[in-house]
Amino acid sequence: MTTIETTESLDPPVSAAQRFLSELIRSPKGLTGFVLIVLVLLVALLAPLLAPHDPAQQVLGARFQPPAFAEDGEWSRVLGGDNLGRDIFSRVLYGSQTSIMVALLVVFNAMITGSILGAISGYFGGIVDAAIMRVADFQLSFPFILVALLLLAIVGPGFWTMVFALSVALWVSFARLVRGETLKIRELEYIQAAKSIGVGHAAIIFGHVIPNVLPTIIVLATLDIAAVVLYEAAISFLGLGTQPPTPSWGMMISEGRNYLYENYWMALGPGIAIMTTSIAINLFGDFLRDTYDPRQERL
Amino acid sequence: MFGYLVRRVLSALVVIVCVVFVVSAISKLVPGDIVDMMEAGNPGMTEQDKEVLREQLGVNKPIFETFTSYLVGIFKGDLGNSTRLRSSAAVLIGERVPATLELALTALFFALVIALPLGIICALKQGTVVDYFGTILSVLGVAVPGFLVGVILILVFSVELQWLPSTGYKGSVVVAAWNALLAWDFSILWDRLRYILMPAASLAFAVVAINVRLIRSTMLEVIRQDYLQFARAKGVPERTVYLRHAFRNALIPTVTIVGLQLGNLLGGTYIIENVFAWPGIGRLAVQSIFWRDYPLIQANVLIAACLFVFLNILVDVTYRLIDPRIRYARR
Repeated sequence: MTTIETTESLDPPVSAAQRFLSELIRSPKGLTGFVLIVLVLLVALLAPLLAPHDPAQQVLGARFQPPAFAEDGEWSRVLGGDNLGRDIFSRVLYGSQTSIMVALLVVFNAMITGSILGAISGYFGGIVDAAIMRVADFQLSFPFILVALLLLAIVGPGFWTMVFALSVALWVSFARLVRGETLKIRELEYIQAAKSIGVGHAAIIFGHVIPNVLPTIIVLATLDIAAVVLYEAAISFLGLGTQPPTPSWGMMISEGRNYLYENYWMALGPGIAIMTTSIAINLFGDFLRDTYDPRQERL
Repeated sequence: MFGYLVRRVLSALVVIVCVVFVVSAISKLVPGDIVDMMEAGNPGMTEQDKEVLREQLGVNKPIFETFTSYLVGIFKGDLGNSTRLRSSAAVLIGERVPATLELALTALFFALVIALPLGIICALKQGTVVDYFGTILSVLGVAVPGFLVGVILILVFSVELQWLPSTGYKGSVVVAAWNALLAWDFSILWDRLRYILMPAASLAFAVVAINVRLIRSTMLEVIRQDYLQFARAKGVPERTVYLRHAFRNALIPTVTIVGLQLGNLLGGTYIIENVFAWPGIGRLAVQSIFWRDYPLIQANVLIAACLFVFLNILVDVTYRLIDPRIRYARR
């Protein structure tokens, strides 16, 4: 009896949360990303409290008002005013809501759809697998932007079309990932055992297959969130995504682009916001991958 | 090799037929009456115009007939007429394809010329300032979107320094390079080159960042190989070891990856062209969506798709020719 006990781990049991925190504190990269993400989330949540002005309110006197650090700037409008006299700082704060909402919606849709289709594809194989994977291959032979533009052309530009188009563009990576893992897991003995005692297909997929792939899915989802923040900005920059008056960082840069020669600050605030958010999520995603999923190498 | 090529072309044809089907089905997929939608973007359409359009888009025909008539049109070189620009969609796009290709290829060239030396230096000088710079660059490359790089470049080089024009296009750089060589007058070349520098740089930025990371790790892998130690043991000078043995072997995977990135670069032109008012198919695509010019959108998607599929085949075949290890390995 005693020999069996000594072979067990001598360390006290560590919960997942404890492990996460101890790893996070040791990684400057992960910690920086995490703190910045929390900051962006807080800004998005508290935007109505933090914003000094209404983001859509047009004040004639504040048109092209320089930012506080420039000549003639005022601290009441830290980042200055835009071409319509709206407060850029308030718009940047509210823009975080748009960015984060789109990112979460899209990644959630793509993750759920992609994972389920991937699991079904890998688990059942045969015609189902072939059908799902051919659609995926077909879509992958084109860059996502072409797929997204086609959908935007069909449904018409707008916020929800953009969410839909990006979800459609992103499900493939989840499907392929989960399918590959499912193919491996399917052959393992405990799945065979589960099958032999009559556990249903759905119970096996959701009870055994998905939980095993979950860490990899979460890493991919985190990195995808960063990508979607950029895609949202790009599509809104083209004017095909978020529509005015809802503030979006991409749209603000696009508006600022027309006034760069005289009023560079219109693009400054949203530009810094995009970069900060995206760098933060990427750093955190890298940390997650290094910690939970060292097999995956990112290109 | 020949068998591979045939298989590849056949599967590409299947993909193209699928694209034609999707594209021709647009008129059925658009919610509401597609022609009424188009009227919103093209004011001044008469009832007769609308009837012609309904016929052209196959609104009242069953979906399979729409598909076949579109397919027949393709073989006649007829992709319909743009309602906004009132001329042949195929011709309009054909005129713009060279500008897009030129932008993407210039960006690819930049990506190689900058990333290759930087990646190698990062690997050789691991842990130094240069290496840190490379790491920072690769983080920024993933995090900063191309259109923002474009805006920053305009701010620096057009607004502040006033070296380069912020938008515009004066014609093909390749043609200008040829003319400049013939006339031995490089101001002709510079006159056009200055328009492409910033768009190509913003397009290349992300790819440079990825490549620096990639080349660095490939190079590090090669450096650890036994044959390098052996070369050193033989007394081959350090420089030759790196240039002849390490660099050459690191080059092959790099060229492969860079080729595969051509597709990404072409996708990126859809955004970058709109930043710099570059007259390519990407800009036209976004404009035609605003105009609700469906024949133009159809033709644009179809031609872009063909372009991607064709370039992918080209890249696949090329790297099979370059790298014998891939050539003989069966997929």
